[in-house]
Amino acid sequence: MRLDVTHRTTYAYDDDVTGSYGIGYLTPRELPWQRVESHEVVIDPSPSDRSTDVDHFGNTSTYFQVEAPHRDLVVVAHSVVETDEPRHDPALLAVPWEQARPSTRRDVPDAWQALDLALASPSVDHPPSAHAYAATSLRPGRPLGEAVLDLVHRVHEDFGYEQGATTVTSTIDDVLEARAGVCQDFAQLVLACLRSHGLAARYTSGYLATEPAPGKERVVGADATHAWVGVWVPGGGWFAVDPTNDQAANERYVTVAWGREYADVPPLKGVIFTEASTSTLDVAVDVVPV
Amino acid sequence: MTVLRDYASEVGQPTLDAAPPRYDEVVDADGSLRPAWRSLAASALDLTGPQLRRVRRDIGRFLGDDGVTYRRPGEPRGPWRLDPLPLVLAPQDWAALEVGLAQRAELLNALLVDLQGPRRVLAEGVLPPEVVYAHHGFLRVTARPGTHDDRPLLLTATDLARGPSGDWFVVADRTQAPSGLGYALENRHVISRVLPELYRDAGLHQVGPFLQALRSTLMQAAPGDVADPRVVVLTPGSSSETAFDQAHLASGLGFPLVQGNDLVVRDGAVWMRVFGRLERVDVVLRRVDAAWSDPLELRGDSQLGVPGLLEAVRRGSVRVVNGLGAGVLENPGLLPFMSRLCEVLLDEPLRLPSVTTHWLGDPAAAALVREDLDAFTVRTIDRSAELDGLDADAVLARIDAAPHRFAAQALPTWSQAPRLEGEAVRPRSVALRTFTLRYGSSYRPLLGGLASVLEGGRSVSSKDVWVLKESPDDPDQGLAEIMPVTRTGSETPLVPRVLEDLYWFGRYAERAEDTLRLLLVAHALAEDYRGRPYSAGGVALRVLRSALQHLVPGPYDATDGSAVDADLRSVLLEVERPGSVAQSFAALRAAAEGVRDQLSVDVFRAFGATERAAALLSTRDHSLQVTESAERMLTGLLALHGATASMVHDDGWQVLEAGRSLERCLQVVVLLRRAVTVRRGIDVDRLLHHGVLTATESAVTHRRRYRGFVRVATLVELLLADPANPRSLRFNLEALRRHVAALPGSTGSTRPERLLDDLAEELDRVDTVDLVPIEGESRPNLERHLDTVTVHLTRFAEAFEAMHLAGAPAPRAFGLAGRGRR
Repeated sequence: MRLDVTHRTTYAYDDDVTGSYGIGYLTPRELPWQRVESHEVVIDPSPSDRSTDVDHFGNTSTYFQVEAPHRDLVVVAHSVVETDEPRHDPALLAVPWEQARPSTRRDVPDAWQALDLALASPSVDHPPSAHAYAATSLRPGRPLGEAVLDLVHRVHEDFGYEQGATTVTSTIDDVLEARAGVCQDFAQLVLACLRSHGLAARYTSGYLATEPAPGKERVVGADATHAWVGVWVPGGGWFAVDPTNDQAANERYVTVAWGREYADVPPLKGVIFTEASTSTLDVAVDVVPV
Repeated sequence: MTVLRDYASEVGQPTLDAAPPRYDEVVDADGSLRPAWRSLAASALDLTGPQLRRVRRDIGRFLGDDGVTYRRPGEPRGPWRLDPLPLVLAPQDWAALEVGLAQRAELLNALLVDLQGPRRVLAEGVLPPEVVYAHHGFLRVTARPGTHDDRPLLLTATDLARGPSGDWFVVADRTQAPSGLGYALENRHVISRVLPELYRDAGLHQVGPFLQALRSTLMQAAPGDVADPRVVVLTPGSSSETAFDQAHLASGLGFPLVQGNDLVVRDGAVWMRVFGRLERVDVVLRRVDAAWSDPLELRGDSQLGVPGLLEAVRRGSVRVVNGLGAGVLENPGLLPFMSRLCEVLLDEPLRLPSVTTHWLGDPAAAALVREDLDAFTVRTIDRSAELDGLDADAVLARIDAAPHRFAAQALPTWSQAPRLEGEAVRPRSVALRTFTLRYGSSYRPLLGGLASVLEGGRSVSSKDVWVLKESPDDPDQGLAEIMPVTRTGSETPLVPRVLEDLYWFGRYAERAEDTLRLLLVAHALAEDYRGRPYSAGGVALRVLRSALQHLVPGPYDATDGSAVDADLRSVLLEVERPGSVAQSFAALRAAAEGVRDQLSVDVFRAFGATERAAALLSTRDHSLQVTESAERMLTGLLALHGATASMVHDDGWQVLEAGRSLERCLQVVVLLRRAVTVRRGIDVDRLLHHGVLTATESAVTHRRRYRGFVRVATLVELLLADPANPRSLRFNLEALRRHVAALPGSTGSTRPERLLDDLAEELDRVDTVDLVPIEGESRPNLERHLDTVTVHLTRFAEAFEAMHLAGAPAPRAFGLAGRGRR
């Protein structure tokens, strides 16, 4: 599928910002199932300095510094991406999930790297509640793919999609308590569930082309950045599943970056120098099949 | 008997308790002295208890004079402690340690290069990946393909214990931003002064060349080919636990001590703000932990870092020492694997063993530790305080939940060394911290170090460490070839924060001095007239006390003669009282701490003198002690004045002197306004006029110039208009104009300069003769004039501070964007 993605972030401040430094993960990855045809990031006001780099996980990060005093900062990332339907060897997804723990699979060449994603990270701890919640799906000997999809299904059933139910500082326990959240929360909850049982799972950030409701026009800008989870499959790469939409990822998903958790790959973050007391943030994402 | 002979005979006795045998640093197993001590001059052995006690008192005095402090986390700043008896190591003792330490630094460097790059040791199973991945110091933001530094470790520290047979064991490595070198330098400085003969005859390695080598290493660490690289020392600030250490080291190295907001990243490089100008920085010796060093990519709530620093590091435009990823090496989880790592990375056997340590991610090790938990210290591999205060069950539960996050270390067997307690010396546990520097292509340990006396696992005192020379001709530190690097104080550029501290230093020093002088005059009057409130002297005393009350507002009633001593004591001692001498000193001290590297040690010596005077006053309650202590404080301040007068006349000095001149202007105006604008009768006025002249150090000048009787006209002339009296408003205004004009950015027409011009015109316009006429009881013209001058000075102060001292605003993180839907 060919997808045209426009991702516009606008910060508005109530006073001049005299210096702004930003880091963003806005560039889709080149992958066996994803090719980037074109990509650009436009920043207004024009940065005095910018660069891109490849990070620890192979993601492309964009650094910029804006020195011109400004009250609005607009960052627009525009990409055209060609995606394929992900393919997985059914036999590898059918191994008992216990055999997918990297700590016990030193026979698999990339297990030592996957291990990084089987450990707790700063915002994704392993509370007993997450371990217990996951145990219902991770029954002994159950095939990996089936167990993971069951977990994703239960999260979708048990948790309500609700903006404002959580904040960026919410813990895994908070989300379990609230039984509600947004896609980032669900992704991180599933990470905690899987990792607390020794599986390796990575936070994945990107976009999803939504389908308009039957009979409705597509609403431009109604989409948002999205997050889902990749689960390590020994010898078979990573199995991407989306707890927010209760499905395995498909060709409508555009992969931008992955890491241990949200904070490793935020779409945009920064530091400003200003006397301003308030700021507002507006994010508009448009993913159009073309 | 002398203390060391007593010690030797005591230690030589067999003990009744079943304590495990320990290595004694001074006495051999058979009770004779070890070679290192045997080779010391007889003067060491002849030291008696009273002599050592005197030495200890001198040490306290020197350390106080130099303002050497240390702050434990969560506790107030306290004095640094140093035992008179050094830890002395013979050349043969040191030789084994030296090669082991050099190898260890080489190994840690190689390991860090691998972990920040290919992570071969993880891929090949030499090191369990969890030991690295679960450690907070493993920085994924720097461990990426674009960041390559093949010598990220330039200065490391190693903490060592010595086992019963005299072998050394590593307890921990300090790689992130090792502290203690500044303290070690200071210890040596003090011991060399208090035990000069012993020191001179010992034939030990001096530490100076090591410092020069460190300076040279840092300059050579600059990226690219810079002719004159700029090196800075990045500190978290003067409230840091080891603030003295940082400032002392920076000062010794001759590099400026800066804080995060003194630096700025632009065009992917690091710059230092210097008087509105930016100067390129090539090397940052950091004392800020990596997590706090860049709010953009690491802790967003950090006010100690520099936004964009990581980007500059990645681009190779600046060198941060040690490399930001070095924290992962401060990791007890690594210790069980060091031997294997050494074989793989260096292809040689590990020379220096560690204290027995288990990584609990290994199930066999975890089982072992569980059996005998009391024999170990269990910590997280990143040494957080997570397990502090938990009972054994709680600790075990934590270990079970995530065993790979923990390491257990056997309690080290420390060696013992004599520590002076009272007039005797007692055997106490000692630990040794060593420092290793990359110099050229190899690592060289400091021949010396910092020893700690331990009690209950806590350091209660430090010791100097002497490594003796094999032969008197050996070059110090084995470094014959280093050219001494001369320190050029004037090259140290001044960032706005430093200027601000120097400005307040000038102001508080002057304020304290003027308050002390006024207080001395008031106290002298009180001595004569305290019992006669209705005499002329009694009235004059009340007037001067109310002037003091104006400068130093307090709860005392100026008309209450019985409270005079309490009031004046409080002016001297109460740090909470606004404007008090104690408060000025505290503020002065705080300002000085912030710019320690700019000031000579004489400044801190002056503080020592004033602090001792204050301490004396608070223990003696007779009235004369007020005068005696105030005079001593004043002497201390004059010494301070002398110390700053001999500073290089750079921008910092101009700002300091501007602060002083401004404060002097303000003080003289307030004093005149309070004491001479009202007519109180000829006898009272005479006493007041003499008092004012004394408090402004102008009595002699007045006598010489005007001979006879003091009149208001001559007093006002001398204190307001006289261009030659260093205490007059005119004199100080002109000084202020010169200091301001000399600052970068001054053009002759800046706002601060214009305000001073206006004030000078005001002074020109007024003829002092016109100020003295009386209407009723007061002199309205003088009142008006003094009030106008005060307004001018206040406006100037605001304009000056805004223009020359305003530092950078604090960075703020902007929201983590994109928490979205779907």
